[in-house]
Amino acid sequence: MWNSLDVSTSALVAQRIRLHAITSNLANISTTHNEEGEPTPYQPRFVIFQTAEEIGSPGTPGVRVASVEEEQKEPLWKYQPGHPDAVREGPMTGYVAYPNINMMTEMTDALEAARAYEANLGAIEIAKDLQHQTLRIIA
Amino acid sequence: MDPIYGVNFSAGELGRVASTGASTTPSRSFQDFLLDSIRQVNAMQQEADQAVEQLMTGGQTDPAEVLTAVQKADLAFRMMMQIRNKLLQAFQEIQNIRI
Repeated sequence: MWNSLDVSTSALVAQRIRLHAITSNLANISTTHNEEGEPTPYQPRFVIFQTAEEIGSPGTPGVRVASVEEEQKEPLWKYQPGHPDAVREGPMTGYVAYPNINMMTEMTDALEAARAYEANLGAIEIAKDLQHQTLRIIA
Repeated sequence: MDPIYGVNFSAGELGRVASTGASTTPSRSFQDFLLDSIRQVNAMQQEADQAVEQLMTGGQTDPAEVLTAVQKADLAFRMMMQIRNKLLQAFQEIQNIRI
């Protein structure tokens, strides 16, 4: 009876976590240090979704986030010899490693997540409406 | 939530009336069914209350999950109220029969 509500809610949660990953990527678009303070550029995060059989009825599973993964991208090199994280020796001397994040891609992904969220809200609205309509049988 | 107990009581009364009127087993099982469904509605209401409390006190719950819990509790309660109304209506019809 509540399957469609539960399934749509699981999608809402999943899309919100996806949006978290995207906002994290945008926030760290010029982060050159990792959590330990080492001069390693931030690697963009992305979420892996998985069907969740425990949500909804058998055959119509919900969704959940299986894991949040880090991409392994080559950094963007910018010439900034005065920067404390600049490479000191070798062919890349004077270059600073910046995260390889494309703002356009991230914004498109964010819009996609927002649209998916809205679509699931619409599905919830329909399921709710159906429940209300069903009550008219007895009323 | 308070209204549940009120409805619970009246449904119990209805069940008793039914079982004294006709002392057969089917009416008894219907009462159980009714009480079970009321208990389920009550549990959903409490679940929703807890979820709202967690959300408001800064717990880990996602707002969407909380609002869905509230909506489910609301729909379940409406459904139960409709069934109660129908039962009361039938009861009053019988009450109006002149002997």
